[in-house]
Amino acid sequence: MMAVLDMVQALNQALKLEMQRDKNVVVLGEDVGADGGVFRVTDGLQKEFGALRCIDTPLAESALIGASIGLAMNGIKPVLEAQFNGFSIPMLDQLVNHASRIRWRTRGQRSCPLVLRIPVGGKIRALEHHSDSPETYFAHTPGLKVVIPSNPYDAKGLLISAIRDSDPVIFLEPLSLYRAIKQEVPNKPYTVEIGKASVMREGSEVTLISYGAMVHECLKAAEMLDGKVSCEVIDLRTLKPLDIEAVSASVEKTGRAIVVHEAQRYCGVAAEVAAQIVENNFLNLKAPIQRVAGFDAVLPMPKLEKYYLPNVDKITKAINKAMSY
Amino acid sequence: MVTEFRLPDLGEGLTEAEIVEWVVKEGSVVKEHDTILKVETAKAIVEVPSPVSGVILKIYRKQGETVKVGEVLVAIGKKGEKAPAAPAPQKVTEKLGVVGKLETSAQVWQPPIAAKASAAYTKVLATPAVRSLAKKLGVNIETLNGTGPSGRVTEDDVVAATKGNVLAKEMPRESTPPVSAVKSVRKYDFYGYIEREPLKGIRKATAEHMELAHNTVPVTSMDEVDVTFLFEFREKEKIKGQKKKAHITFLPYIIKACLDALKEHPRFNAAFDDSAREFIIKKYWNFGIAVDTPDGLIVPVIKGVEQKSIINLAKEIELIADKAAKRTLDLAELKGSTFTITNIGVLGGKFATPVVNYPDTAILLTGRIYDAPVVRDGKIKLRKLLPLSLTFDHRVNDGANAQRFMNKLKSLLEDEKWIKKWQI
Amino acid sequence: MKKTIAQFQVPYLQVLDETGKIDENVMTPLSSKQIKELFELMVLTRVFDDIALRMNREGRLGTYAPMIGEEASIVGTGYAMEKNDWLFPSFRENTTMFLRGVPFEKLLLYWRGDERGNNFPANAKSLPVYVPVSTQMPHAVGFAWAAKMKKEKYATVVIFGDGATSKGDFYESMNFAGIFHIPIVFVCFNNQYAISLPRSSQTNAKTLAQKAIAAGLEYFIQVDGNDVFAVHSAVSAALKFAKAHGPAFVECFTYRRSHHTTADDWTRYRQLKEVEAWQKKDPIDRLRKYMQSKKIWTKAYENKVVAKARTTVGNAVKKSEAMPEPDNKDIFKFMFKEPTPDLQRQSKELDE
Repeated sequence: MMAVLDMVQALNQALKLEMQRDKNVVVLGEDVGADGGVFRVTDGLQKEFGALRCIDTPLAESALIGASIGLAMNGIKPVLEAQFNGFSIPMLDQLVNHASRIRWRTRGQRSCPLVLRIPVGGKIRALEHHSDSPETYFAHTPGLKVVIPSNPYDAKGLLISAIRDSDPVIFLEPLSLYRAIKQEVPNKPYTVEIGKASVMREGSEVTLISYGAMVHECLKAAEMLDGKVSCEVIDLRTLKPLDIEAVSASVEKTGRAIVVHEAQRYCGVAAEVAAQIVENNFLNLKAPIQRVAGFDAVLPMPKLEKYYLPNVDKITKAINKAMSY
Repeated sequence: MVTEFRLPDLGEGLTEAEIVEWVVKEGSVVKEHDTILKVETAKAIVEVPSPVSGVILKIYRKQGETVKVGEVLVAIGKKGEKAPAAPAPQKVTEKLGVVGKLETSAQVWQPPIAAKASAAYTKVLATPAVRSLAKKLGVNIETLNGTGPSGRVTEDDVVAATKGNVLAKEMPRESTPPVSAVKSVRKYDFYGYIEREPLKGIRKATAEHMELAHNTVPVTSMDEVDVTFLFEFREKEKIKGQKKKAHITFLPYIIKACLDALKEHPRFNAAFDDSAREFIIKKYWNFGIAVDTPDGLIVPVIKGVEQKSIINLAKEIELIADKAAKRTLDLAELKGSTFTITNIGVLGGKFATPVVNYPDTAILLTGRIYDAPVVRDGKIKLRKLLPLSLTFDHRVNDGANAQRFMNKLKSLLEDEKWIKKWQI
Repeated sequence: MKKTIAQFQVPYLQVLDETGKIDENVMTPLSSKQIKELFELMVLTRVFDDIALRMNREGRLGTYAPMIGEEASIVGTGYAMEKNDWLFPSFRENTTMFLRGVPFEKLLLYWRGDERGNNFPANAKSLPVYVPVSTQMPHAVGFAWAAKMKKEKYATVVIFGDGATSKGDFYESMNFAGIFHIPIVFVCFNNQYAISLPRSSQTNAKTLAQKAIAAGLEYFIQVDGNDVFAVHSAVSAALKFAKAHGPAFVECFTYRRSHHTTADDWTRYRQLKEVEAWQKKDPIDRLRKYMQSKKIWTKAYENKVVAKARTTVGNAVKKSEAMPEPDNKDIFKFMFKEPTPDLQRQSKELDE
């Protein structure tokens, strides 16, 4: 049985199903209970499971992640929320210094299975600090898994996988996709494997690699060039651990790679993917690997945002450049 | 532009209101912020101001009606503009997210259908540099079999595929325009017309090469060799050589003689290292052979002279002369000399003071063989003489050495037994 | 042996009650001119809010945080500040910033998503809007600390909400300020809600003012945040204290009558009854009643005040909407003093 859902509803379903399956799953964060979350992802959960399992916390990100680490070390599975990407930064202290290394430093005696959900990305006409893409901070930290869906089906399956994972998972939710896409999603629980990319479109001449909202910009560009350039589009879905096999198999075939993301280009995920492609596919490359990413400047407020973020034009330009070699 | 004004959010959680009174009517002129109607909520009577200045074009709801928040009340615009006959449907912006606006879609998104499964692809392994070379040379790399590690296509594979004198295409050439095309700028100087010729091509290279040797201290030692026997010997060998398609000149014998002489006097087979203040004695013998071409002086190098027969040497000399004239020598063939021989004899002339081929320390110039009366055993005989000029770098050698070297050369070229060694 | 080694009391101040009557014992003398100014500024606040909300609905403004209900705290705090005092706001104090020299058109630019709105006139004594809650507090401490180091005689006033008092920044800032005797006034606009979380779920502490005690502050008070006289009086006294001795804390007990922002819907987490009860405590209504009793208010006077406010805000709207589009190269300006080579290269990509 299927239903047509947007990403918010798909995520909501995932949370509900997991909370039904396992009574130790606890949802917590600011405004997640009575208000159902500022984006309604946790809508209805407090009503169904009570205020002790869907908890409205005081305004304190540091305490929230710290307490969640404590919960996780003692048998509870916290699924906590950072209300906006700008407010996940105070959590870096606890994530880098603790959550990511508890299993490592206790030689396996303790672990920290928690899920931190963060809405990320731009194109939502929001104020400062609300549209950034912080994935690199988390991907760079060893001991954390980083996941980001680009559609409702993957969102539900990946969140369920994240909740069932034994290690800390940073679950990033692209704001601009929350309501923009409706898709058929099975009603029952199912998982999408963490660490596996997905080929969204097959092609033979150029590989577009992306994640989150930018996957759809890549698909649009590929569609526009249909008949002129054959583009393969890969949705990474998991940023860490990276599915380099999928990426490498594609580049072996096409010989041309372009990586697209909203985050700043310097030391971004694209830089890592590009380095791994060179390591694995040097002898297949027909053109230099390109990155279409944000500039190395602060993401501007809505008025100038459109010049900053990648878009179909910038992606198309990169494709044409790759084909010119 | 027509503004459709909707009942705004009245706050306090109220979602609808009753129209108590329209303060304006269709056609009224209003200013931004003027009250245009009064509504009654559950609590109070609220005055609703106009959002824009303009003319009331059409009023959609009547006094006494209950209106929901977001429903269109009135159209305001410029005089004469047409308002829509019916009001647009109620629009309620979803209060979501606390910050920003989320886009919503009504359509169901289908994951894109995979394009036709891509056909089997040719897997060619090659570095980007090799791919670039292939493109430059017009080779379709996908058609090549690689001979490199793991079946990699190498640079040589690409070059071999071009079928033909690839090296010719690859040799770095200086552009040498024919003389007639040399651009000259007529000018006067104080005394009369002059013509300027810029340094180009081989001329430029030669000039620069000569300038490199500015630290050399050149001294030229001159002498003559009695080549009467050699001359006759060569006449006979020449006929034999023709049968083997080789044109035998005196040069192969001079090369062999120099080889032996250099082995005995290694300091003439050396290079001077200015910066290290050392001279490097070479333990191998590569002969630069100066060739005069229409474009200028080119010095290709013959290597491995010891192993080569007179025939081979003759053939090679011919080949490089031809290549030099056609400008098809590659860089490797122009490098590595340890001693240079230059022959002006073809044109005539006896002695000269050749310039050492930097960074070597010695060069031998051969003039034209000529008939001359010489005194032998008190009697005048007609002999064939070959003039030799040996320029050496005085920092490495002295005049006495040079004469010893010259003497050795002479002794070999006048030694019938030694000459006969080279019989084909 | 067991004894009490320290005891604290949390004072409360109300001067002007809901009915418009004042307690003469605690009223700081104010001239009619000053009372009128306070009234006019509160009306201006409500008019700005009204126009901003309408512009948001019309798509001329992005997400906006309404001030309605908190006019007494917003105006009283700003009015109490002296010429050289600096303001560190959160995001709901447009009029306070206006009183510190930030023109309304700059604020409207900001709410429209244009960074040029943060480029204040040179003589403005306010920092731009702070969105990440509580992060303005350590800045305010450091800024005042610099003043002290340079022997300059002014204080900073930092405004924050009840939600902010749960953050580590809050306690750490007060603790710093206390030990270094920094001339700073912490003003908490306790409007009873942090988005959807009611004040009673934010902390088990009975008042927010008492949190200052733990950090060692020696001046702390809770005031009726809808009473402009009390707010003005308390913040004035706090500033005097801060400049002479050390940090002070004023909790303004008020109420956020509207949504957290225009993209929020309070009907999901609170009752209309509660909102209506607070309407009776409206800050402008009670001052009007007082002024009526003192015969310094007429309907004509208020109409003039409203009209003037509309003109002031209207002019600001016009100015902000007349701004030419920003240069897209502005993305790279102001990253560093001089743009680095890679930024210069990236900037050229905008030309292509």
